[in-house]
Amino acid sequence: MTRDIRYANARALQGHRAGFASRVVADAIDLVVAWLLGLAALLAAGVVRYLLTGPPLRLPVLPNWLNASGFGAVAVVYLGLSWAATGRSVGKQIAGLRVVDRVGRRLSVWRSFARALLYVLFPAGLLWVLASRRNASVQDIVVRTAVLYDWAYHAPDEALPATDRR
Amino acid sequence: MAQDSERALVPVGSQLAGTPRVPNGEVDAPRLVVAAAFGLAVEVQRRSFDAAGAVAGRFAGPLRALTRPAVSFARGSVAVARHHLDLDTWAARGLAEQRRVQAAAVQGVRTLTAALVTAVLDEIDLDEVVARVDLDRVVARIDLNQIAARIDLDAIVERIDVGAIVERVDVGAIVEQVDVDAIAGRIDLDAVASRIDLDAIVARVDLDAIVSRIDIAGLTEQVIDEVDLGEIIRESSSTMATETVDALRVQGMRVDGLVSRIADRILFRQGERQTGPLPEEPRP
Repeated sequence: MTRDIRYANARALQGHRAGFASRVVADAIDLVVAWLLGLAALLAAGVVRYLLTGPPLRLPVLPNWLNASGFGAVAVVYLGLSWAATGRSVGKQIAGLRVVDRVGRRLSVWRSFARALLYVLFPAGLLWVLASRRNASVQDIVVRTAVLYDWAYHAPDEALPATDRR
Repeated sequence: MAQDSERALVPVGSQLAGTPRVPNGEVDAPRLVVAAAFGLAVEVQRRSFDAAGAVAGRFAGPLRALTRPAVSFARGSVAVARHHLDLDTWAARGLAEQRRVQAAAVQGVRTLTAALVTAVLDEIDLDEVVARVDLDRVVARIDLNQIAARIDLDAIVERIDVGAIVERVDVGAIVEQVDVDAIAGRIDLDAVASRIDLDAIVARVDLDAIVSRIDIAGLTEQVIDEVDLGEIIRESSSTMATETVDALRVQGMRVDGLVSRIADRILFRQGERQTGPLPEEPRP
């Protein structure tokens, strides 16, 4: 279901590497989504505990290390699965971005999870986009990925536009 | 047989047409005598035949019994007479003569009739005759209705080959002769229109009956079935969302470019960033 892109500039930039602002917006949204997922997981745990042990219904209070590592795990799973499946998480979907490998294909699962893990461990690597001539973050350089402007929907068996040379 | 043909030759009283006269009106004496003698002879012959017939009819039975021997004798004598006097030849000759005269008489009458008719026709002025005929009275006496009733129109129509007639009609020529403009010009459409009472026509239309026959509920259902409201709502909302998102994405692209330029300036970097499409996939 490819749709027409009304904006001429946007049309011209499809398949190009995305800049810092778009990626920050996308990652901020993903952060919120990951936090909501973590919260949902906590809530689910609270409900389970309530069902098992009875009232009061309360969110479980975790130790800090467990809290942080749990949130990190949720974020890694969420981002890794999203990028491996479609190349775009919720944030990248809204920002119109797609993560691809060095030659424009969808990421393999291990590459996707490695990228997610690197982002969770070292988010500041995104800042390198400002300095990189190819708008590459540290993670992009390490796992050899790129983030492109790609607004269109692509069926799973369809080649991504980056590989569709015109 | 011979008796019948001979009797036919004898004129009856009504056929006697007066005495023979010479052109100056006096009686032609010698011919009168001859004719009288002939007539007398004929009459005698006829009467003798009649008398013989009557006698034979009345006394035939007894006489036949009584006279059988005599008849036998007479027959014998007649046979002898026929043989010696040659009666048959004479009779044949007489009959032949009679027939010849009869034919001559018929021929003569025919010639005379033709001459007479010609003379009469010469004398008659047909125009004058026709002029004297009162046609009006003739026509008045004709019962046209009766004639018409006797005409079998169906049979006549069946015998008419309409196809052949139509084939012979040159419609193009007829149409060319018709001046449609002139006809149209003679029609006063305003007058026609002014005579139409639209109110009366509308008043006669029973709108209630028409409306009551319309299945409004069914129609509405059909319309709703045809119009996919869900699809419309989905499309419009998705269009709205798409427009919003697209606007945000475009703003993001602009800010991307701006941020990149600022960063490049801070880094004292010259030239454009290499953000173009990815290098081509290495072919296996």
